[in-house]
Amino acid sequence: MDHFPTNWGRPRNDAFDAYATHPIHQRPYNGPKDTFADGVQRTQQPIVTGTSVLAIKYKDGVMMAADNLASYGSLARFKDVQRLHQVGNYTVIGAGGDMSDFQYIQYILEELSVEEISAQDGHELGPVEIHEYMSQVMYARRSKMNPLWNSLLIAGFKDGKRFLSFVDLLGTTYTASTLATGYGAYIAQPLLRKAVEGREDIITEEEARKILEDSMRVLFYRDARSLNKFQIATISSAGVSISDSMQLDTTWSFAEDIRGYGAQTQ
Amino acid sequence: MPDMASLAHPQQRAFNPYTENGGTILAIAGADFSVIAGDTRQSEGYSIQTRYAPKVFRLTDRAVLAVNGFAADGNMFVKKVKQRLEWYRHAHAKDMPLRAIARLIQTMLYARRFFPYYVYNILGGIEEDGTGAVYSFDPVGSYEREACRAAGAAQSLVQPFLDNQIYFKNQVPAPGTSHPAHLPLPTVLSIVIDSFTSATERHIEVGDGLEIYIVLAKGRTLHGTESIGGMQELTTTDDGERVFVVRRDLKKD
Amino acid sequence: MFLTRSEYDRGVNTFSPEGRLFQVEYAIEAIKLGSTTVGIRTPEGVVLAVEKRVQSPLLESSSIEKIMEIDTHLGCAMSGLTADARTMIDHARVTAQNHAFTYDEKIKVESVTQAVCDLALRFGESVHDEEAMMSRPFGVALLIAGVDELGPQLYHTDPSGTFMRYDAKAIGSGSEAAQSELQDKWHKQMTLLEAQKLTLRVLKQVMEEKLDHHNVQLAQVTPQKGFEILDEVQLKEIIDAM
Repeated sequence: MDHFPTNWGRPRNDAFDAYATHPIHQRPYNGPKDTFADGVQRTQQPIVTGTSVLAIKYKDGVMMAADNLASYGSLARFKDVQRLHQVGNYTVIGAGGDMSDFQYIQYILEELSVEEISAQDGHELGPVEIHEYMSQVMYARRSKMNPLWNSLLIAGFKDGKRFLSFVDLLGTTYTASTLATGYGAYIAQPLLRKAVEGREDIITEEEARKILEDSMRVLFYRDARSLNKFQIATISSAGVSISDSMQLDTTWSFAEDIRGYGAQTQ
Repeated sequence: MPDMASLAHPQQRAFNPYTENGGTILAIAGADFSVIAGDTRQSEGYSIQTRYAPKVFRLTDRAVLAVNGFAADGNMFVKKVKQRLEWYRHAHAKDMPLRAIARLIQTMLYARRFFPYYVYNILGGIEEDGTGAVYSFDPVGSYEREACRAAGAAQSLVQPFLDNQIYFKNQVPAPGTSHPAHLPLPTVLSIVIDSFTSATERHIEVGDGLEIYIVLAKGRTLHGTESIGGMQELTTTDDGERVFVVRRDLKKD
Repeated sequence: MFLTRSEYDRGVNTFSPEGRLFQVEYAIEAIKLGSTTVGIRTPEGVVLAVEKRVQSPLLESSSIEKIMEIDTHLGCAMSGLTADARTMIDHARVTAQNHAFTYDEKIKVESVTQAVCDLALRFGESVHDEEAMMSRPFGVALLIAGVDELGPQLYHTDPSGTFMRYDAKAIGSGSEAAQSELQDKWHKQMTLLEAQKLTLRVLKQVMEEKLDHHNVQLAQVTPQKGFEILDEVQLKEIIDAM
């Protein structure tokens, strides 16, 4: 007999583990079985990748930046890719890592939004909910040894509150007033912390934009998989706005003076 | 779960579902109180991910759980423990006693014996008999009740200090005296704070912030801890054990 | 009640237009055919007593088992289709053991009672395309006695899956007379011995045969010794003292 009420009312298989002792308190899997399961490949490594995403909190909200490049190994393969994506009315999600997995994430978030809107129940998905949802999705996928190979930043503004968080392919999560993924975590994060930590309620929108632009410039100088073409998303009480792609002024004249850096012949 | 045949051939690159997020936790039991603490830095490799990610959680008015290791597993584990505590509350019309939580944590960890939660748990609180208690666990559920325990990145720095200060290891009592079985709360709090400032000094993964939870047995007061500022009460019921938290800064370098 | 017999008294999962589940009601009727069973709660512990109907002089009366242990701190007496009770007690035992395994503590009397009643409701439950596991409601009522952190308690369960806590309760064929006797005689500060004697006295009144140590069984649950079925010597002593 099955003594575990969690199994009651479900198809039985007394031949196997009659007392459902392992794993304790879990229901048997009754879903469809995939005949081609052996032929399915899981993501073992990212293929077409995006690099850093940066985000900071400022006085009136949150600001996020990411360039428009999707690389195929060292090849700059796609140069007009949007890595900042709006979800609902209050949230932007930015992604580094595998771009096809990111497109899938956009797809499931779109499905989620449609479901939420059509319920017409007065609930709206805010950044907190989207963060929780994404962390569950990412953790569930890593637990199936079939991860979505991304580092995500989730930024939003709802009910008068700023929100900024990180989720990655392992389901690791955290929040902070400055966040950066990929190379940005090494190169831009120290700059962002120096500029922002303790000044979150002072920094103006203009200043925030300048902080991000300066960091993006450094990243463009230092990160070989980056592009001088990027977007900035601003999320505040005014809502979400994702800018058109923009470029920064950069200086390379110094290269001529450095032996081995420029095109010197000797 | 991969079948044995596929395991026979080594794969080129396997996805590693684990990482290590640094930090340290520690708990000390007194006669009628328990102190559970953890730093708030979360890191991966040489990078600080955030300066504030809590590792210590109030479960009930008499139980506090500290979780250290792989942060994603830790957060999920705490979430599942809390869910089980709520189910228990509905099924049995009471809060789960501390030793029951300890056993539950063992069964939950061991249920994942072959894909473990990569976390070290320390559970602190007050037993049914009113004594302060600390339970410590390994990732697959082995557990025991102890007077004190440190775990995490700086375990190897802190535990020997605790052995010396709490268990009086390598200390000889003055002739005609003996070591106390339990230390008073103010002494314990000083030891906790010193442990973390020291660990912060010598371990790169420890620092930023310190959260100290204090659980008091029924009727006992915070008397003697006035020098420690910013204590905040988290208790939800009037006539039972009480929970407090102290948040302090640690060095951020 | 039998006058309204109609097609609605066949299915176990169909309400009659008056809102009744006949099979459940019939199951409750079945208990009234069972032997009388009495339980009394006192501050010192809970006493359970059953009548064992020894239908033939060739029947080994010691083989009639109507009081069973669920856990060291839990006992159970039954009336009705006692075979059904074995399934329920099996479930109660596993539930109690599982609780002890998972939580390192004794399960509460109410919780184990709830678990038994959850099982009692599983008649008429089947997943589509599957044969139902239970074809009818259980035809047995239980008196579940136990001691936990809330002290000694006595619960009554019936085939509808309803359970209630009692100070004293009688079930089975002589239950009506027995219950009114209990109502008269039970008082708050009863000792365990008084309760033992009262259960036997109540049984004696409703039994056809003369009560002796062969045709009754007595058990108790106390905070000190937990569940125990009294042996013939102890039983005789009480009968003599009665």
